[in-house]
Amino acid sequence: MTAFKKLTLTEPELVQQLQSKDPAVLKTLYSMYSSAIYGVISRIITHTELAEDVLQETFVKIWQSAAHYDNTKGRLFTWMMNIARNLSIDKLRSKDFKNSLKNQDIENNVSFVDEQNKVTFNPDVLGVKQLVDNLKPDLQAVLDLVYYKGFTHVEAAEKLDLPLGTVKTRIRLAIIELRRNFN
Amino acid sequence: MSVENLKAYIESGVLELYVLGDLSPEEALQVEEMAAQHPEVKAEIAAIEQAIEQYAMQNAVEPSADVETRLLEKLGLSEVEPEKTVKPTPPVAQEASVIPFDESAGKVRILRYALVACVALLIISTAALFITYSKLNDAHDQIASLNLDKQKFAGVVSKLEFENQGLSNMAAMADSQEWATINMTGQPFSPASKMKVYWNKKDKSVLVNYVAMDLPKTDQQHEYQLWAMVNGKPVSLGVFGKNDSTSNEALVKMQAIQEAQAFAVTIEPMGGSINPTMDKLTVMGGV
Repeated sequence: MTAFKKLTLTEPELVQQLQSKDPAVLKTLYSMYSSAIYGVISRIITHTELAEDVLQETFVKIWQSAAHYDNTKGRLFTWMMNIARNLSIDKLRSKDFKNSLKNQDIENNVSFVDEQNKVTFNPDVLGVKQLVDNLKPDLQAVLDLVYYKGFTHVEAAEKLDLPLGTVKTRIRLAIIELRRNFN
Repeated sequence: MSVENLKAYIESGVLELYVLGDLSPEEALQVEEMAAQHPEVKAEIAAIEQAIEQYAMQNAVEPSADVETRLLEKLGLSEVEPEKTVKPTPPVAQEASVIPFDESAGKVRILRYALVACVALLIISTAALFITYSKLNDAHDQIASLNLDKQKFAGVVSKLEFENQGLSNMAAMADSQEWATINMTGQPFSPASKMKVYWNKKDKSVLVNYVAMDLPKTDQQHEYQLWAMVNGKPVSLGVFGKNDSTSNEALVKMQAIQEAQAFAVTIEPMGGSINPTMDKLTVMGGV
């Protein structure tokens, strides 16, 4: 929590340096946010190598399109996270990704399949999982799809066979639940 | 917009989708307009953003260390840090940039050893190939000379067989009462020549034996013709080849003749002549 507060304090500075293309800011930005952003990416793309590629692409894009960030529209992290999510979903739907699935060698495939089936016991996700597990199952299902799998709410509605409005409400309720947990 | 409507708008879930980047550009623009007009909306968005951000922070996963290095390299910012720091620490910076390569350096080392081993193997293989090749050449030479010997011996053997057959036939015919042996002697054209003709008294068949002849050599256009002298007239009994004929048969059957007073051989053009060429009369002998 303290780390989080410290970040919020420095955010305007970060934005200012980022937009003036101060080379040193990238390292700071990376050390502050790379693991949080990688957390988002690696849940959408379970293949480590590809996920790390997307992480790199994300920071390249953050660096190159810093001028487009408008702090009146939202937080820096939201902007960065959405870049990461969009690149991840693009990657997930790309030929590249589909080929990489075909080309898994056996060694990688074991852990890949494990990750796919969430059989492994990943300590990084443990706390969150518990947190999300506290949600009601129907809220959890929606949040799983949208946050972990990179689904849009329209896709989630199709997948869960629910009206769009219901999916939207459940996303909202899930996030309210999260807000309550954090506060 | 009324307070109720604003509340409904906030509760519709559209702001969450906005923060999650799950709205079309037009929808996002509407949300931004709403946020600009209504501080409640702006506050709600900020709260959602904070929740999502905290959620992401708690879900953080550490990427492997080389992603940062690759990123800085890709953006050409690798050397930025030493300049920025007050105390430049090139060794540390150097170390930091070296670490990610350790793994590949190990691979390169292994590959280098593999390359050396390959080159060594190649040299050994080439040497072995040359030795084998020269041995193979020796073997080929030996096979060729052995083949030559073999052909020579085969030639000797067939010649011996041929002579043996002729001699044994001659011996058998000499013993037999059925066969008359006519000795023909050299004539002025070829005084040194001699030859034997065998004439069967019963069926009147005539044989010549290549082993039992010594005739002058003929050229490609000529061969021998055997004649029988019947009441002073020559009757052709057929032609026969050179005495060094490759034919396996030592004995050649000529045409039969009922009666004859003498036999003679002339050299005639290939295929024989109707009348003997008397100046090429080689051998002749009376019965």
